[in-house]
Amino acid sequence: MNQLNRRNFLKTAGISTTTIPFLGNLEAFAAPGKAINKQRMVIFFSPNGVVPEAFWPQEEGENFQLKEILAPLEPFKNQTIVLNGVCDKVRGDGDNHMRGIGCLLTGIELFPGNVQGGSHTPAGWASGLSIDQEIKNYLQKNEATRTRFGSLELGVLVPDRADTWTRMSYSSSNKPISPINDPYQLFAKLYGQAKDKEILGSVLDPVIADLKRISSQLGKEDRKIIEEHTGFVRDMEKELRNLKLSNNHAMPKLEPGIREDNENLPKISRMQLDLLHNSLQADFNRISTFQFTNSVGMAKMKWLGIEEGHHQLSHEPDTNKVAVEKLIKINKWFCEEIAYFAKKLKNTPEPNGQGNMLDNTLLVWTNELGKGNSHTLDNIPFVMVGGNLGWKNGKSHKFTRTSHNRLLIAMAHGFGHNIASFGNVEYCKDGPLVLS
Amino acid sequence: MKFKYLYLYLLSNLSASLLFGYLLLLVLPTFVLAQSEGKKIYDAKCLACHGAKGEGVKGKYKKLLSGDLTPNQLAKVIEETMPKDEPGSINATSSLAIAKYIHEDFYSSIARERNRPARVELSRLTVKQYRNTLMDLVGSFREKANSQEKSKGIKGEYFKARNLNKGDLVETHVDAEIDFDFKIEGPIVGKTEPHDFSIRWAGAIFAPETGYYEFTVQSSHSIRLWVNDAANPLIDAWVKSGKDTEFKGSLYLIAGRYYSLKLDFTKAKQGVNDNKKPKEVQPAFVKLLWKKPSGPLEICPSEYLTSNTFPEMFICSSPFPPDDGSLGWERGVTISKEWDQATTTGALEAAKYISKKLNEFTKTREGDAQRVEKTIEFLKKFAMRAFGRNLENDETALINKVMLEFKEPQEAAIRVIVWVLKSPQFLYRHEGGGDFIASQLSYTLWDSIPDQQLWDAETSGKLKNPELLRREIDRMLLDSRAKEKIRGFFHDLLLLNHTSELNKDAKRFPDFNPLLESDLKLSLDKSLDEIFWNKESNFQKLFLEDSVFMNQRIAKFYNQKLDAKTGFEKMNLDAGKRAGIVTHPYMISMLSYAAESSPIHRGVFLARSIVGVTLKPPPEAVAPLAQSLHPSLTTRERVIMQTKAGVCMTCHGTINSLGFTLEHFDAVGKLRTQDNSKPIDTSGSYVSRDGKKVSFDGARNLALFLASNRDTHRAFTEHLFHHLLKQPTRAYGPETLEQLTDYFEKNSLNMAKLASEIARLGSQKVVAQPQKLTKQPLQSP
Repeated sequence: MNQLNRRNFLKTAGISTTTIPFLGNLEAFAAPGKAINKQRMVIFFSPNGVVPEAFWPQEEGENFQLKEILAPLEPFKNQTIVLNGVCDKVRGDGDNHMRGIGCLLTGIELFPGNVQGGSHTPAGWASGLSIDQEIKNYLQKNEATRTRFGSLELGVLVPDRADTWTRMSYSSSNKPISPINDPYQLFAKLYGQAKDKEILGSVLDPVIADLKRISSQLGKEDRKIIEEHTGFVRDMEKELRNLKLSNNHAMPKLEPGIREDNENLPKISRMQLDLLHNSLQADFNRISTFQFTNSVGMAKMKWLGIEEGHHQLSHEPDTNKVAVEKLIKINKWFCEEIAYFAKKLKNTPEPNGQGNMLDNTLLVWTNELGKGNSHTLDNIPFVMVGGNLGWKNGKSHKFTRTSHNRLLIAMAHGFGHNIASFGNVEYCKDGPLVLS
Repeated sequence: MKFKYLYLYLLSNLSASLLFGYLLLLVLPTFVLAQSEGKKIYDAKCLACHGAKGEGVKGKYKKLLSGDLTPNQLAKVIEETMPKDEPGSINATSSLAIAKYIHEDFYSSIARERNRPARVELSRLTVKQYRNTLMDLVGSFREKANSQEKSKGIKGEYFKARNLNKGDLVETHVDAEIDFDFKIEGPIVGKTEPHDFSIRWAGAIFAPETGYYEFTVQSSHSIRLWVNDAANPLIDAWVKSGKDTEFKGSLYLIAGRYYSLKLDFTKAKQGVNDNKKPKEVQPAFVKLLWKKPSGPLEICPSEYLTSNTFPEMFICSSPFPPDDGSLGWERGVTISKEWDQATTTGALEAAKYISKKLNEFTKTREGDAQRVEKTIEFLKKFAMRAFGRNLENDETALINKVMLEFKEPQEAAIRVIVWVLKSPQFLYRHEGGGDFIASQLSYTLWDSIPDQQLWDAETSGKLKNPELLRREIDRMLLDSRAKEKIRGFFHDLLLLNHTSELNKDAKRFPDFNPLLESDLKLSLDKSLDEIFWNKESNFQKLFLEDSVFMNQRIAKFYNQKLDAKTGFEKMNLDAGKRAGIVTHPYMISMLSYAAESSPIHRGVFLARSIVGVTLKPPPEAVAPLAQSLHPSLTTRERVIMQTKAGVCMTCHGTINSLGFTLEHFDAVGKLRTQDNSKPIDTSGSYVSRDGKKVSFDGARNLALFLASNRDTHRAFTEHLFHHLLKQPTRAYGPETLEQLTDYFEKNSLNMAKLASEIARLGSQKVVAQPQKLTKQPLQSP
């Protein structure tokens, strides 16, 4: 097995994540002319509405205070934008939870279908693609902004069932994208090829030993084919070695055996966020969605001392102060995850560019409802951190019943994709939301 | 026909590779060797000193006559120096004749290679064997599929509410196919409400060929389809959205196996249970269709559906380069870089599959204190079964060390499995050397590894006892893998593997469509299955069977009346006028042009595949005479006109006189009495290898001749031998073929018995002591 170790050259010694920040910088030498920083966007989703009093800043403009739920964003306040008054005006089939998530990024009606919500008519999938996919397609069309995956659709404990409540991202009308929930699956997607090579490197010695052993037992005529075979294995060895030399991106390590269950939600969230960070840093993708559970999500945040399911709590009346406190805690927890990610980006220098990664990555946090117990689609939470879409940072906006389609258009425009409308044109009349 | 020109000698439907194989066949020694002028002179003047084949003569000239001179150079040497006692006595012409003869016969390196005695060569697994082996190797750690008689059709459970709950079950019955239009009323009036019912069909589906299958479900309502993988649906259209009513999913399947299949259907709404009866009930339909790797979109036929249950199978779908088929059967005697890379992809595919489900295979779970030990145990067994022998000490040590180093069982497993599957000890088979009888038998009859029972028979020494060996072979012949191997043999023999879509003249045969073609192929398979697996397994029945399996579509096309709505029934067709499988409508259609019959295609097929004649390619490629250019001639007259030249007739003499006998069948296999408004001449003949000329008239007489002729018996024996053992018969001794043919004839031409005898013979070829590596006796893996 010593031999196995010696050959194990692809299992590089320093594959911990700490080596990564230096790796991306190598590209700087390869592409000297690229002055413009990359633009990235990650859209976070958490369910069941928020507690407005503990969420929306009282003030409008640049001088504003973050309320309790948004407090974790304090370190990034000067890069934070809060949009109040943006409403999901899309109507049609489906209940508000369904339309809340299904029309959130698509801005267009759901098809009639057979999924029956708690009220309204039954519905199917959204009848158009979502803004993350629209922008991803735009970036992938251009050589300069094209990346390996374009986008990643990630989830944390999204239930294993495909229905209107569990899907946010759509590649086209009637084509929802299943988010990757499993960090190991995500790892395989990001690093599968590199991992394969590492595995192959580790078995070369025993395979060559076997070829020798077989060859020694054969007559001259039969030995020829084994000699030829040995040549191919040697070729593979050379190829793997060359690849190792040119390999400037190492794999992160993943804690093995974490099961997807409610108790592990915090752990899985961090694993997913860390992998997403690696992927953005390696420029595997520029766009991502990140979906905590689902519309009507039932997470039980026992680690916060909350035994009830999230959705169940969100139905409690405002007079139930205990429930309201719990909802604040739950939403604050989601906000902490976003703050964790923001911090991670902020601490990472922009590979091949200026500043840090947060400067060039817009984080958007949103929700299917404005408020859980009223099921309103008005005042949909939209909180943004970081990014370089040309928006004025560090600002609290108060709009008056403004259609959220306009925000979706503004996102595309921020990427230089100047579409006139997105989703249902009815709600696009006044053009992109002005955020300067 | 797709091509503008069709060459007379080339079966229009055959691929280039077959043609290639056909050409290569010519380098094999043919049974009639012309006595050349050169040989006569050599034998008279040179043989005394050089021996009959230039091998040398003791005391005269000992050295082997071999080298790199060209015939002209050789001629010069002979003319100037030979014979030793009288140089110059052989003139230039004679010298050249001698030179040409010895160069061709034994002097040149090519001739030496050709004369090398045939031997059992070290072979890698063929692609088919590789895929089967991986499937069975992984499957050996799972519950066994039940091998009982498969029922046709699929079990349907009908529920009176939306969620397929046991409590709502109102009826269970077997449906032949899934092809339903429930209209508004629903499936079982009185038991199910029109707006609120659900159905689950569960069973398995048989894959008749290897490749990607596209499944399609057409439905007005919610459906989910699982194939092989019970955890992840192949098609998930449980959410009904918009107007889509057709849903597709593709999956690679390996031929000859059943795969679990489940289709759920619900008419009710999802989500919140709000199943108030709506004002207006919509009609409902559901259909399960597929597109086989070759073939049209069709309703999954009841023939391939069963209600029996099957465990999940591991399907290796990594693409492989095709095997060497140059001798007419697939062999694993050559390797290439592409092949090596494919084995890497295959190894990774299998290793990932297993490591993902490691707990299932090792019968353990997360947190089990024994998990590491159980994993090591599993990996050792896996390696033993893959190598077909005990593990060496260093191999066991390697597994232990990998586990120690990587700790996490999945990480260790993935590496050990990749090693095992990349090892030549897994990838090669060594019939002549290291393999056990068990392995020899299983690859001969199953193209796969032995099962537990066979290993047990090996370790207990049963396979050394002739009687018990026979019994074991007979058991193996009952296995579905043996059935698949025999089906593959017939497909090779009847050239079915080389056939793409049969395009027929739409004006003359408007009803001959891909659906009919697919049914005909299945009908032919059913005939072959029935004849071979019948107790008598009578070879003669291949030619004398009068009936054809028909379903509604076939019956309608061939003007027969069939009562059964679905499925196939055996029906007489033109009793006494056909020649069994030779005139099966599919075979005849394949051996025809789009609008006209083709005596040449038919003749070449009969000559090569059935009677075993070696044919040379024609001296030049010729396009067939168009019927329109000779409107007054019959097909027979046109063929005679075109092939009358002497140079053509050396082969067409044989080809035409066999092919003409089937002229009573048109381009789609229907019986006819006239061709081009003229009476048909179906007289023909054949000169046997023993020099006797036999004449016959029409398909029936041809069939009687084929059924009882030694040449056809020998040809069948040789084809079957090649297909089963994938080695030349001569490698097992010069008399092997004749002896096996004798055996075949003495045993009432029982094909299954012949297969059994070939398997027995192959298993006796273990020359070296197997398991040189291991001192201890073989443990049952």
